[in-house]
Amino acid sequence: MEQHIHPEPKAFIWKYVFTVDHKIIARQFLWTGLMFLALGGTLAMMIRWQWAYPKTAVPVVGQLFLSQTGGAITPPTYTSIFTMHGLIMIFWAITPILIGAFGNFCIPLMIGARDMAFPKLNMYSYWTFFVSSILVILSFTSQLGAASAGWTTYPPLSSNVGAPGWGQTYMALAIFVTGVSSIMGGINYIVTVIRYRAPGMTWFRLPLTIWGLWLTAILNVLFVPVLGSAALLLALDRLAGTHFFVAGAAVGIQGGDPILFQHLFWIFGHPEVYILILPVWGIVGDILSFFSRKPAFWYKGSVFAMIAVTVLSAVVYGHHMYQTGMAPLLGLGFEMLTLAISVPAVVLFVNWLNTIWKGSLRLQVPMLFALGMVFVFGAGGLTGLLLGTISTDIYLHDTMYVVGHFHLTMAAASFLGSFAALYFWFPKMYGKETDETLGKVHFWGSVIFITLVFGGQLVAGYSGQHRRLFEPYQYTYLKHLAPLNRWTSFAAFALGITQLVFVFNFIKSLLMGKKAAQNPWGVPTLEWTQCSSPPAYHNFDVVPTVVRGPHEFADPEVKKKLGRDYLDQVEPGLDAVSESSADEMPEPQAIGAE
Amino acid sequence: MTARRLLRAVTGLATGVGAVLTASIAAAAPQPGSGYGLPIDVSAHGHRIDWLMGFTNVLTGILFLLMAGWILYAAIGHNEKRHVAAHDHGNSRRSMFLVLGTAGSIFFVVDGTLFFNSTVDLQQVFHNFEKVEKDPTTIRVEINAHQWAWDTRIAGPDKTFNTKDDIVTLNDLRIPVDTPVIFEVASTDVLHAFNLPNFRAKVDAVPGQVNRMWIQGKTVGEYEIGCAQHCGTNHYKMKALITVLSKEDYARWAAEASKNSEKLFDENDSDAHWGWAWKGN
Repeated sequence: MEQHIHPEPKAFIWKYVFTVDHKIIARQFLWTGLMFLALGGTLAMMIRWQWAYPKTAVPVVGQLFLSQTGGAITPPTYTSIFTMHGLIMIFWAITPILIGAFGNFCIPLMIGARDMAFPKLNMYSYWTFFVSSILVILSFTSQLGAASAGWTTYPPLSSNVGAPGWGQTYMALAIFVTGVSSIMGGINYIVTVIRYRAPGMTWFRLPLTIWGLWLTAILNVLFVPVLGSAALLLALDRLAGTHFFVAGAAVGIQGGDPILFQHLFWIFGHPEVYILILPVWGIVGDILSFFSRKPAFWYKGSVFAMIAVTVLSAVVYGHHMYQTGMAPLLGLGFEMLTLAISVPAVVLFVNWLNTIWKGSLRLQVPMLFALGMVFVFGAGGLTGLLLGTISTDIYLHDTMYVVGHFHLTMAAASFLGSFAALYFWFPKMYGKETDETLGKVHFWGSVIFITLVFGGQLVAGYSGQHRRLFEPYQYTYLKHLAPLNRWTSFAAFALGITQLVFVFNFIKSLLMGKKAAQNPWGVPTLEWTQCSSPPAYHNFDVVPTVVRGPHEFADPEVKKKLGRDYLDQVEPGLDAVSESSADEMPEPQAIGAE
Repeated sequence: MTARRLLRAVTGLATGVGAVLTASIAAAAPQPGSGYGLPIDVSAHGHRIDWLMGFTNVLTGILFLLMAGWILYAAIGHNEKRHVAAHDHGNSRRSMFLVLGTAGSIFFVVDGTLFFNSTVDLQQVFHNFEKVEKDPTTIRVEINAHQWAWDTRIAGPDKTFNTKDDIVTLNDLRIPVDTPVIFEVASTDVLHAFNLPNFRAKVDAVPGQVNRMWIQGKTVGEYEIGCAQHCGTNHYKMKALITVLSKEDYARWAAEASKNSEKLFDENDSDAHWGWAWKGN
């Protein structure tokens, strides 16, 4: 369906603040997400400081925010720090960057639409998210401290019994509000992809990025409401004195059920990890093909693998609850389904490896980040096997091994994937090029230190260190892990410092980056071949008609006739291209190509 | 005797007692771990978990190296400077079989081993409470977790829980060696997790619910119990000792502790009567 061209608003407030333009909303999500990424990262550095130098003053940050203790972290502060780190990173950093920013930016441009199906809903989605961000900040200002019950917010600890004060309440409400935002965005994405694909953009001509984002949107719409209900019931327990989740001595004999919350939480929570990784799978699938100058290996296999993972993600959540006293038969069922996920996951993974094999790899920054993502995701995925299996999970459950595993899969992989996407689409988003050398420094620092940090956590967990310990060395059998933890912390600090290179690159490129060409990477998808950098307000003057898939690379005939190695999604086939017109289509200049 | 000499004598005595106490605590303290890797296993069945983890690690380690080598080789060997991209969509029958074959083999070998061994181990050992309950020597222990300590309760000679001869301790669990021990675990406030890393055993303590697990110690000594589930400010300090005693030592200790309990029993101290009628057999 073709959308009308609307005049571009001129006033600042309608153009940049309360805008309905998906490209500006994408930037709003990007900026908010990056701010929270910095905040969540700072909190992570504080956790690592505590493990490296327990109870000593945190440099800089401690002086600013923990002046009452002379800069040192106390146990209650520590619980708030790791709780807020987890929640912020998941809901206010990765979600807005991957889904808010790149979902918004890529979906209309890559499918050939002029905007989202519901541009106003899109605007409400961002501003709802903004309200939830304020609730997060308010949580920090609470007199009894920010939320402290862990990112999983398990009651009864997250009820008034374990975490009194407004900090936890604000976070329960913030989760609910950000959930509302996600649902709005999700509905918008689903409808846009179904209804507003350009003529000829069949389902199997969609870039993998769109598949990833679309499946994520479906999971969001199906499962975020479950989290919303859990957050709302928890807020009622806290504010209205209900007993949905509180049991035991706290309420006498007739209580609620704390395990009920875990079911609700993980029915959402396991799809959530795929919500965070599916967009990355899609983006990386495309980038690997684009920069290998080779078609994506078994495109349909990758698509069906992503669909299979999406479906399975909804029925494996019980593996988070093996130790809660779950019936053995139920556990066995969840275990079987969990292990079954490895089939589509391996299909997807082997397709990536085969895509780069026998390619002609251009190791530019987005490609480096994509390869880095494949590496850390592989490491993370392999370590997940022991956690999905009931008997080995008895020992590993709630240890740092779990922390290392989910950081590699969910945090490191989506972090590197997000940066692959950011470096890749930055020229289209802002019309400027980023600095290639700084980008490479940022990549190598990130991938090396990220591997060391989360590898160190895996080793600590395997050696028995359990999670969320203010000071692990209280335990005699963990005392010898102090040097390991300290080295892991050093890697974490180095990882943090590496991000400053990105901040510098980002700002420098925005202010004085070279003007980007229309298609600097030489790729076939619509946003690069049909739109200027940055695209016009209405994206496409004429909605293009798509004739082929997004990965048409390396055809020797094309190379002979056109002098370049790809066919874009719109141009006519080889038969229609005459020898003379071939001269008018020179190969676009690639960024940093040697 | 001057006041100064008195003071010196008292200080000396205190130092001496302190030193003896410290030394005895140090002698009895749990063994520190060493090296990276699993903590020492002192249970009769933990080796099953250790073997399965070790075996899987070898397989996944090989896969990891293959993957890393593959990426590295492609990045260098198939770089644009050295390699012309093949025109291959990977959708030939052969390619698809190759991918599905790889996924299938990994699934059957790695996941298959995990699923098979885990299921056998759980049915034969870790979830096999029936066998343990039939064993006349089995010790039954109730664990009541609360912020931030572990109450333990072992029924006295009357074999009934929550009576005056129960052995009740705080953060100090003692069990006999080579004897199965069943735990029923509950919590009075928030979630906790009863974690015995040296026995490869762990179960959540949930308010309003009784969970169970069982272990069997094989090495006499002192080990640590930790709380594995975040339970608030002092989660990191919620630890206890588990002492594996020889059968004779245990019997002696249990008899004496039970007698002491009867002597110290206070009908009106309702907080101390937290036990429950044993749920299992």
